[in-house]
Amino acid sequence: MNEELDLLKKAWKKDANSYQEVSEEQIYAMIHKRSSSIVKWILMISIAELVLWTALSFITVDENYLNTLELYHIDTVFQILTVLNYAVLLIFIYFFYKNFKTISSTDTVKELMSSIIKTRKTVQYYIWYNLTMFALIFIVVVISQITYDPNLNSVIENNKDLDPQIFWIIIGLTYFVLFAITFGLFWLFYRLIYGFLMRRLFKNHEELKKIDY
Amino acid sequence: MSNPLEQSFVKQLKENQNIVHKICRLYTSGEDAHNDLFQEITIQLWKAFPKFRGDSKFSTWAYRVGLNTAITLYRKSTRTVATTDMEGKKQFIAPDDYNFEEEEQIKLLYKAVQQLNDIEKALVFMYLEDKDYEEIAETLGISEVNARVKMNRIKGKLKKIVNP
Repeated sequence: MNEELDLLKKAWKKDANSYQEVSEEQIYAMIHKRSSSIVKWILMISIAELVLWTALSFITVDENYLNTLELYHIDTVFQILTVLNYAVLLIFIYFFYKNFKTISSTDTVKELMSSIIKTRKTVQYYIWYNLTMFALIFIVVVISQITYDPNLNSVIENNKDLDPQIFWIIIGLTYFVLFAITFGLFWLFYRLIYGFLMRRLFKNHEELKKIDY
Repeated sequence: MSNPLEQSFVKQLKENQNIVHKICRLYTSGEDAHNDLFQEITIQLWKAFPKFRGDSKFSTWAYRVGLNTAITLYRKSTRTVATTDMEGKKQFIAPDDYNFEEEEQIKLLYKAVQQLNDIEKALVFMYLEDKDYEEIAETLGISEVNARVKMNRIKGKLKKIVNP
């Protein structure tokens, strides 16, 4: 009745020890593959960020906003910056994707470690790029506001009797506080989201280092 | 060195890796699919390892987790009927006493097993591993009677596939 299965069983027993042996190192690499899921999160969050910024710009851009840009003489500059920003963002997303692909296809501890380092660097560059861009835009807006904003200029006119030195110190301080708060929020945002993933990635890297093959 | 939990896991899995290889053998065809499933089972085992208290043997536990992984995985994916044949597989060394006719029949049988569904494969696997019905039933979460009935049906199916 079950001669088929018994024949198979015989072959099965014979095959039992003929499998290609997987080494301890390979097993280590396999269980540290969770790095790939961290990198996947980085990729997904960066895409979500792109979507978020795009959505926000659609919501906030209105007649008023465009008029202000024109008034400040920075409409062209902003157009260029926007295009540049999207281009750079897309490039970063491409790099995140590439890192993710490398990490998920590698099967040696060494390659895994170097991919993790690379991913960390990419994320660091990404954060620095975003923060620098923010600072740059802030400075551009401040300068053009001081130069062209009619409200601000009328305030300057009305306070002619005030010591100009004190006046500019107040203006400077106001801008500085504004900058510190917004920049700080941005920084916190990136620290929280990417910092969390980075720490996990780094921990994984440290564990891999200890395997030390 | 890395943490002790990890060390003990890697060591035990290395020693018991044949269990995982054998599961892969029944559920996949082709070296790549074999390696992919091996990795997936390894990851699942590692995830479940903190809950493994050592009340049972590592091997018994690995059977259960490994089979469940394979079953879940192959239930999700639309059935990839084994189209690639088993020839030319580096993983399997031809035995010394090579009997052509028997060898052909075994190949046919392996192919036939590949066409079974996920649960049936698990049954065949445990049968080949000399597990009794009690253990089969327990591992798969079905009754012993049900396991016997299923097994008989499988035998019939295989017979039909091999001798049409």
